Amino acid sequence: MTDRLSRTTGRRGSRRVGALLVLAVVLFAWLAPWLAPGDPYGQSLLKALGAPDAAAPFGYDHLGRSMIQRLAAALQLSLLIAGVAVVAAACLGVALGVLAAARGGWVDRALVLVSDSLLALPGLLLVLILSALIPPRPLAFGAGLTLVLWIEFFRLTRATCRSLLASPGVQASRLLGFGRLYLFRRHLWPEIAQLLLTTAAFGAATGVMTIAALGFVSVGMQAPTPELGLMMVELMPYWREAPLTLLQPVIAIFLTLLGLNLMAGGRQA
Amino acid sequence: MAATGYRLLQALLLALFIGVTTFAMMRSLPGDMAWRIAAHRYGYDLVDADAVRLVQEELALGGPLLPALVQWLTDMVRLDFGTSLVSGESVIGEITHQLGASLQLAAVALALSLLLGPPLGILAGLKPGGWLDRGLLVLASGLRAMPQFLLGLLLILLVSVRLGWLPAAGHGSAGHFVLPALTLALGLAALSARIARDAMAAVAASPFYGFARQKGLSDAQVLWRHGLRNVSVPLVTCLGLQFVTLVEGVVVVESVFGWPGIGHGLVHAIFGRDVPMVQGTALVMGLTFVLLNALNDALQRRLDPRGTGR
Amino acid sequence: MTPRLEADDISVFDSDGARLLEPVSIRLEPGRPLVVLGETGSGKSLLSQALTGALPRGLKARGRICLGDTVLDAARPADHRRLWGREIAVLPQEPWLSLDPLMRAQQQVSESHSLVRGLGRLRAEQAANRDLAALGLAGAARRYPHQLSGGMAQRVAFAAARAGGARILIADEPTKGLDAERRDEVAALLLQEVAAGGSLMVVTHDLDLAQRLGGEVLVIRQGALVERGRSAVIFELPHQDYTRRLLAADPRRWATTSPAQTGTETLLEVQDLSLSRGGRSLIEGLSLRVGAGEIVGITGPSGCGKSSLGDVLLGLHGPDSGRVERSVARPHAYQKLFQDPPSAFPRTLPLGTALRDLVRRHRLDAARVAPLMQRLRLRPDLLERRPGEVSGGELQRLALLRVMLLEPVFLFADEPTSRLDPITQQEVIGLLRELACQGCAVLIVSHDPELIARTVHRSIALTGGNGAGPDDRSHAGLAAAFG
Repeated sequence: MTDRLSRTTGRRGSRRVGALLVLAVVLFAWLAPWLAPGDPYGQSLLKALGAPDAAAPFGYDHLGRSMIQRLAAALQLSLLIAGVAVVAAACLGVALGVLAAARGGWVDRALVLVSDSLLALPGLLLVLILSALIPPRPLAFGAGLTLVLWIEFFRLTRATCRSLLASPGVQASRLLGFGRLYLFRRHLWPEIAQLLLTTAAFGAATGVMTIAALGFVSVGMQAPTPELGLMMVELMPYWREAPLTLLQPVIAIFLTLLGLNLMAGGRQA
Repeated sequence: MAATGYRLLQALLLALFIGVTTFAMMRSLPGDMAWRIAAHRYGYDLVDADAVRLVQEELALGGPLLPALVQWLTDMVRLDFGTSLVSGESVIGEITHQLGASLQLAAVALALSLLLGPPLGILAGLKPGGWLDRGLLVLASGLRAMPQFLLGLLLILLVSVRLGWLPAAGHGSAGHFVLPALTLALGLAALSARIARDAMAAVAASPFYGFARQKGLSDAQVLWRHGLRNVSVPLVTCLGLQFVTLVEGVVVVESVFGWPGIGHGLVHAIFGRDVPMVQGTALVMGLTFVLLNALNDALQRRLDPRGTGR
Repeated sequence: MTPRLEADDISVFDSDGARLLEPVSIRLEPGRPLVVLGETGSGKSLLSQALTGALPRGLKARGRICLGDTVLDAARPADHRRLWGREIAVLPQEPWLSLDPLMRAQQQVSESHSLVRGLGRLRAEQAANRDLAALGLAGAARRYPHQLSGGMAQRVAFAAARAGGARILIADEPTKGLDAERRDEVAALLLQEVAAGGSLMVVTHDLDLAQRLGGEVLVIRQGALVERGRSAVIFELPHQDYTRRLLAADPRRWATTSPAQTGTETLLEVQDLSLSRGGRSLIEGLSLRVGAGEIVGITGPSGCGKSSLGDVLLGLHGPDSGRVERSVARPHAYQKLFQDPPSAFPRTLPLGTALRDLVRRHRLDAARVAPLMQRLRLRPDLLERRPGEVSGGELQRLALLRVMLLEPVFLFADEPTSRLDPITQQEVIGLLRELACQGCAVLIVSHDPELIARTVHRSIALTGGNGAGPDDRSHAGLAAAFG
């Protein structure tokens, strides 16, 4: 009993730490450019791989661009794309999941078929193929990610709603004269909402990771766009001269993913 | 049997998706592509309008949409992917080469992860909340926050460049296996250790585990006869999940380490807009993924007489 | 000769040091069963767990246990381990969950023979086959637990628990979740063990089982011994008020319901109804008329379509063929009471909010709630809690209150008391009788023949596929005609 209690509080604690980490990353991404004004694209070859100074507290990259500017811009880009994709995927997945569970029949079968056939392709592969079709612009990336992420929301919502709709509680509410809106508001939504945070955090982590991974293998965002994976590739040749500069995008992505994973809690994706 | 039928359907839809996507890609290639291909084939001096038209027809770049799509898909079903736009070699030949290299890497990585993950997870699950359990949790959280390309990058910097112990990239000797396989295996092991830990903890807390002890069996006997067998069921299910990580990992890790496998081939093909290669590699990767899952289904059915699973 | 087990001043504490079980001393002798009787949560299981050294983590026992020449300290449960299977056999509470799902029945028995008694593999398998055959399970040796019925699983678990050679048997709620027939089987099995010279301790809330086993009875309530004595004496002349109430709650001691009025208004009429689920025909050609104020029982084995019949009567599903006519047109006048009370409310919603939603939905007079609460003996503070935080009995009464607000004319009660303790069960059935007296028709589904016999005016036995007809044990006040 006490064992379980300490475990749940422990889990809640790590969730809070995760949320704080994510908040810190978000604050950095949007406040840093404002605190140390500059241009993430502005080159100055004289300062290439230069040490931090007042104008650029994090130093300069191989083309003499301010690292703090580029980091913040890259984080903004990743978080925005992942965030928008997660919100879109959640809306789509939850709506279709409720629809499939409530309607049943051919609507359900068709939706399950679509989601299952998308599952046959690992997410990264799907985004990769789509990015080959559409040039890797942020919007296309967001669309590709949404296509990958909605499935998890859909499957969870559908499974939850199916068991709930067949439960005595829903039957009782129907017999007592409550309508569909009430069933959704009081029975379905509270249960779905509990799953949403976890799934959304995992989805955002997947998004951030996919963008960086594709950037890293040079089929993602194209230079000179500041993007974390791309920055790592660009800075790799200079790791002996400027190891700390290379470490910056590494730490940024590690902290972002750590925060999102902790926020999601112990559940496995 | 329903499961096999389901996997067949999945494979079919996958092929259709890849076929249609690559067709669209082909159609959207810039206009001078046919000229470049023709030039590559016949030499720059011999290219004329007829040669370009011939290439266009062959690749279904022009003409009415629907018949071209049907032709494209029929070719795909006959495994006739044509030749690479970049190298001019036959696509199927190149893929056979690459697939071998990829499967070697994946098999070594999977074996390595199974040696690392489940045993640690089971030990942690026997004492939930113990020091091993906590330590493993921290380690797993750290690994989860470390994408494979990042892990690969750090391993290269540390082991190859800094310490000079192992080659950073390439293919051929046993030494080349270590870093890419380790990169893939660590991520997989983190997942399977977590699953094994949760499964072991659940099994150890289950009524049948307690009853086996009360029958008079020793802890070791109970673990061996009732624990491991029951933990293996969710572990095999988890293996199915791991194939996703494995396939994605193959794409990333091969690119990072320059491993001449199919994932590397796919990334290259997309970079070079080499549509026949994209089609071939994506299809083979996707089908391998479905096949692995089908095999996993069969293994699951063998292990669990209840016939749960899908 | 089985050694005698003596336990002195066994008590149980939680991790904060609070006492969960007051000191109890017991003595187990061959041929004389010991029955520990009490409601859910009374702490009766703690006693058997403390004796066997199997308390849940965090709980601590105190006291001294003597088994023959062996003396054990209850505070050191690790020492009990070597007695398990060899001296003390524990019959698990839920046999289905207590068998390894991936192992065949025979292996689960033979491993005790080989690993505990040290027989060779072949001889262990022969011994296991003999054990299973003796329990009428010869055909089930190669089956996996999911291929066994609840009763069969109980017998396999019995054979597996006993195979190590232990002659002291401790059974915790051995009849939990079993229907009447299976309960008889378990009682016979346990009595056979006693007759063969074994020692037996049974922890149960099943009064019928307790009376059948005889021997000595301990009545436990809220972690303290209420009364102890010879079974025959306790059941005939209980000294304590609580024991009297507990015994009176046994359906066999209930007064029968007074006959219903004849010729009342027809509320529900069913003609030639057929019903199937998943391609299997459950009910064929059922005709039924239910009048106001009637209580009708529905019995039958599990899976025979009792709940499905309810769904059709309430209009939640259509019948395969036949006609169902609900004569009162007022909406929401036909209602249902569920088997598992917590699952009948929105899980995350405070109960008061759920009730307010109902009042608002039908523009009811909110002032009616308080007196009804009082009548059903429900404390107002329950309304601030969520379904998981309220006892099953209170929740079932609250479900009844929720239904009564809509003034139903017909109530389908699907096993409404199968998850409740005897005293609470009696209360809920009493409330259903009151409802019937006010003119509501009540259909009660139950697997307890004694409860049905004393509660209903007449009953229908469903057989699950072979058609349905009026039960031959119809009861006083048979008011309505069939069909």
